[in-house]
Amino acid sequence: MNALYWWLTLALLLFCIGAFGVLVRRNVIVVVMCLELMLNAVNIALVAIANFRGGSRGAGALFALFIITLAAAEVTVGLAIVIENYRNRRTVQTDQYDELKG
Amino acid sequence: MPGGDFHPWLFFILAAWILICALGVVAFRKVMYSAVSMVACFLGVAFAYALLSAPLVAIVQILVYVGAISIVIMFAIMLTEVQDGAYELFFNRQVAFAAPLAVAAAAVLTVVLVTSDIGAIGDRALNPSVKGLSLLLFNGYVFPFELVSLVLVAAMIGAIVLARREEEKP
Repeated sequence: MNALYWWLTLALLLFCIGAFGVLVRRNVIVVVMCLELMLNAVNIALVAIANFRGGSRGAGALFALFIITLAAAEVTVGLAIVIENYRNRRTVQTDQYDELKG
Repeated sequence: MPGGDFHPWLFFILAAWILICALGVVAFRKVMYSAVSMVACFLGVAFAYALLSAPLVAIVQILVYVGAISIVIMFAIMLTEVQDGAYELFFNRQVAFAAPLAVAAAAVLTVVLVTSDIGAIGDRALNPSVKGLSLLLFNGYVFPFELVSLVLVAAMIGAIVLARREEEKP
């Protein structure tokens, strides 16, 4: 077994745990946290592949940096939306956001 | 074995740490416990970057994720604390479908990964040093760098506009 396989297995297990959390949790803030777990899994995969394959002069670590920056922006806007929603509805539970239900 | 200049047990301890903390994020009933577990998971991921010979990414991970994002999330938790018995049902009704789906996805991805040829060269660490990474960032990738700064400014303005209170009208 190559070294890369171990790191990619870790990344995909972390990704699946995050996806499971996004699917099952009711609190929107926990859903945002699980999204962050999924982004971290992708970052681990990128850095591992860049480390063991070394293509394009190691730009994989650079991509991980860009993803971290964009995740910070995403969390800021997402939590602002959550707080704005909480101010209107007094809830953060996903199954009570049902105004658009037909 | 997970290659590099470290003992292979270090990888397995680290992987167990990351995965257990990630499971804690999903499974803890109180949201604040989930947040603390998430911070521990992010610290483990930073350690993983350090083992993957990407020290700059590890430091940025600690600065941005462990330092900034976790604080923002904890602020959001404390601003939206719900008292009216909201903790009694913390999984939604899709859990009976989502749990087999997640396990099946993990199994299928593992099988595909193990049986595929990913063309890794070897166990040698090839990530660039901080100097190489910064040369790459400010030569070939300077346009995405500027674009990301624009995205950050847009997100900052958007967050302020969204979360601002609106009653102070003249």
